[in-house]
Amino acid sequence: MIEIIKDTKIDFMRAGRPLMGLSLLLLLGSVGVLLVRGLNLGIEFTGGTELQIKYAARPDVGAIRAALEAGGLTSQVVTTIGDPSENEVYIRLGAVPGAGDEDLTTRVARTLRDADGGSGRLDLNVADAASIARLLAGIPDVGAEPATALAQAIVAERREAAIFAGFDELQAIPGFTPEIGEFLRDTAEFGPFAVRSQSYVGPAVGRELVRKAAWAILLSLVVMLLYIWVRYQLQWGFAAVLAVAHDALITLAAFSLLWKEMSLPVVAAFLTLIGYSVNDTVVIFDRIRENLRNRVGGSLEETVNLSINQTLSRTIITSGLTWMSCLGLYLFGGPALNAFAFVLTFGIVIGSYSTICIASPFLVMWKRFLDRRARTTATAAAAPGGRPARKLRNPSSRRAG
Amino acid sequence: MPNTPLMWKLLVSAAVVGGAVFAIYPPQERINLGLDLRGGAHILMEVDTEAAVQYQLELSQTRIGQRLKEDGLGYSSIVARDETSLEIAGTDAGRGADVRKALEETVGGWEIVEISDSGTGRWRVTVPPDARAYYTTTAVDMTLATLRQRIDGLGVSEPLIQKQGLQGDRILIQLPGVDDPERVKDLLQDPAVLEWKAVTYPPGAGDTANWVPPTSREAAIAQFGGALPADTELYPEPFTTEGGGTATLWWPLKQVSVVVGNDLRNAFRSSDEWGDPAVSFELTQEAGRRFEAATTENLGRKMAIVLGSAEAKTVISAPVIRGRIRDQGIIYGRFGVTEAEDLALKLRSGAIPTKVSIIEERTVGPSLGRDSIRAGLAAGLAGFGAIMLFMVVYYRLAGVNAVVALALNVLLTFGALGALPFLFSGANVRATLTLPGIAGLILTVGMAVDANVLIFERIREELRLGKTVRTAVDQGFSKAFRTIVDCNVTTVGAAIFLGLYGTGPVRGFAVTLIIGLTASMFTAVWVSRQLFELVLSGSGRRERLSI
Repeated sequence: MIEIIKDTKIDFMRAGRPLMGLSLLLLLGSVGVLLVRGLNLGIEFTGGTELQIKYAARPDVGAIRAALEAGGLTSQVVTTIGDPSENEVYIRLGAVPGAGDEDLTTRVARTLRDADGGSGRLDLNVADAASIARLLAGIPDVGAEPATALAQAIVAERREAAIFAGFDELQAIPGFTPEIGEFLRDTAEFGPFAVRSQSYVGPAVGRELVRKAAWAILLSLVVMLLYIWVRYQLQWGFAAVLAVAHDALITLAAFSLLWKEMSLPVVAAFLTLIGYSVNDTVVIFDRIRENLRNRVGGSLEETVNLSINQTLSRTIITSGLTWMSCLGLYLFGGPALNAFAFVLTFGIVIGSYSTICIASPFLVMWKRFLDRRARTTATAAAAPGGRPARKLRNPSSRRAG
Repeated sequence: MPNTPLMWKLLVSAAVVGGAVFAIYPPQERINLGLDLRGGAHILMEVDTEAAVQYQLELSQTRIGQRLKEDGLGYSSIVARDETSLEIAGTDAGRGADVRKALEETVGGWEIVEISDSGTGRWRVTVPPDARAYYTTTAVDMTLATLRQRIDGLGVSEPLIQKQGLQGDRILIQLPGVDDPERVKDLLQDPAVLEWKAVTYPPGAGDTANWVPPTSREAAIAQFGGALPADTELYPEPFTTEGGGTATLWWPLKQVSVVVGNDLRNAFRSSDEWGDPAVSFELTQEAGRRFEAATTENLGRKMAIVLGSAEAKTVISAPVIRGRIRDQGIIYGRFGVTEAEDLALKLRSGAIPTKVSIIEERTVGPSLGRDSIRAGLAAGLAGFGAIMLFMVVYYRLAGVNAVVALALNVLLTFGALGALPFLFSGANVRATLTLPGIAGLILTVGMAVDANVLIFERIREELRLGKTVRTAVDQGFSKAFRTIVDCNVTTVGAAIFLGLYGTGPVRGFAVTLIIGLTASMFTAVWVSRQLFELVLSGSGRRERLSI
């Protein structure tokens, strides 16, 4: 059999100190980044309006900004997104003075359309099948049935391309005749753009979403802590949560550095990352517990070292495979999943690192700290009135006792 | 030949697979795609329950005026004094009993008080608190009914309309496959309160048939000598001037309407004499009588058609009454075909009895939905392919075992998504596949393979320690099992909170993750085991294992 890792005997614990130092540096750096840069919060959290618009021809971002300003829609972000050949523009509006809590998506679309000289005719890039069918039914030789069929075909074609640039693109549609083309030229037009998606989140709803997200994260962490407490031991729980918090914080800082947009799916990704990181930690804790029970190693430090070495193969392979899935998402999943996939792709790497280099050494350090305290208390206990020392218990002894 | 218990277990596995395939066939119908994949509009609306009282007040204003007129009781004005009461002035002081009877029959239940004044009668009617409560609680239901009718008129398949929110004052609307969200939002938000009002001509306006009001409020008021009569108010009619700009005509109209939209029995799109789109309507019999009387009275004069909500009413046209109109009529305006159709739909479905506003909207165009599906599938195939390749190369035949288990996992997850509506039919549980849901599926595969890897690594370890093949397999599965459970429980735990607190797409992610990981317990542990048994049950003792 092919084996990448076999019978390793890496002393992870000795590398523990410097690595924890590195982690501390990373953590401080992360906090610094977050304090200075903050987070790019999406409209789900801040409230606001967001549109993704596809233009028929290359859009002039400056002109768009000017048109919006002229329409009284200030405080906007206008950028091109995606492949430049797609001619897509992303527009985001915060709170607009004077608009109150109004849903601004209609106003944005209208302002942009007017700026391009709307004529009030039916916009074939926007209208639905029923409206187009009604228009076509007005043609003397065209009955209701063929009109509906043709309208639906036009809309279906438009869904593929997202936008029509001109009448030529209609030629290929079955049922389309030059006479119909003439009629449409007089009665309809092609708007300059089509809206691919739009969102509006009012302030009340935004606050609720933030609250719900916060609760979800908080409760998840608490439940995880409880679960590990029940299955293992409380300080192991702390070790796991410490590792998780470390992962989340560093990933959040990377997220902020790249200025990716924080949205609810991204919160979901963080929660999944937390679950995954605990996952990872649990596997090694399980092995540590098993080895402790079987009294395989010598000191706790040696047992922990052994356990990590034994599970190293599995850790690397699984992390690698999960990481590959997430990388696939990041590369191929499209712009909608980009931020989501980034969190997981980055976080999984950090997560595996933290399990080996944070959680496990933490256990050892905790024991050393307790031992040291036990020794000092034992000395004090020699004198009357002293208290007995507390030991780091093997979690399996909970069962027996 | 595999032994009997193994055969039964394999049959069970096959049955489960069969069930899953059955649940998702045909995929177009069974798998419910979320709005972000299908394209569609998600709109959350808030109903202003307070404004419902104001709407009722206005409606009552008209009804009282109509009733007093029918009974031959004159009045000079009916005005809203504050948010909850109307004041009727100028009634015949001598016919107080008749006036009171008329009021009781129109706004029965309201508080009716006669304010004595010298000479002319003066009355105040106030909405009592319990009627106020009734209007506010029924506002949402009435709005819901109206919106349902309007959405029906759109012809959207499988719309979702339901009440939401802790105070019950929100309405959630989901419309899959919507191409023109602006039209939809207009239909949902337009209160479409329609009224016919008679024109109050200023003194000295000679030619009533061709009179046109001035374009500024001041000029309009000046025409009445500086102050409008008590029963008249100004209503704007915006129009485009020759040069392309906009201007407004200010019509002085009677506050009390002759006929309101609630009196319509039907409305539909038609054409006027030039073939331009218009809206034809039919009135109820009772309203028809009133209309006939009013048109007879106003022959040769203009009557305005006013449309709008309580705050923003505009005149859409003010035709001259050339003949008696009983219960059928036509509304002209500068309508396009779709506009006329939409107005007819709004009139047919009734006015929205209060103010509604959109507090959340997510609309995804169908083209973006398709792109998302394609991207999700591409990512899924890439990820799955990479995993498959690795597993087969690294673990050989056992790797094939794992791949089969993973494929089954995906199949079962889809099957559960398709079957959930069956299991909880009636309850509002719709397991939808969203874009984050696809991501969840991909993640599940990545995590499910973890279970297999845990088991295989254990087996390899046992083999390295010199155990027999059979023992190694048994030990591998049993030792790894607890760890697998722990891992899945923690991730599922996080996903449960996501499902509880998340909305829409995020909930889809949580649901697919939970289903996927639960199914992975079955496939990675049970099914994988059976496949191992199948391989091992061959001839006698096995010396080597392809792992």
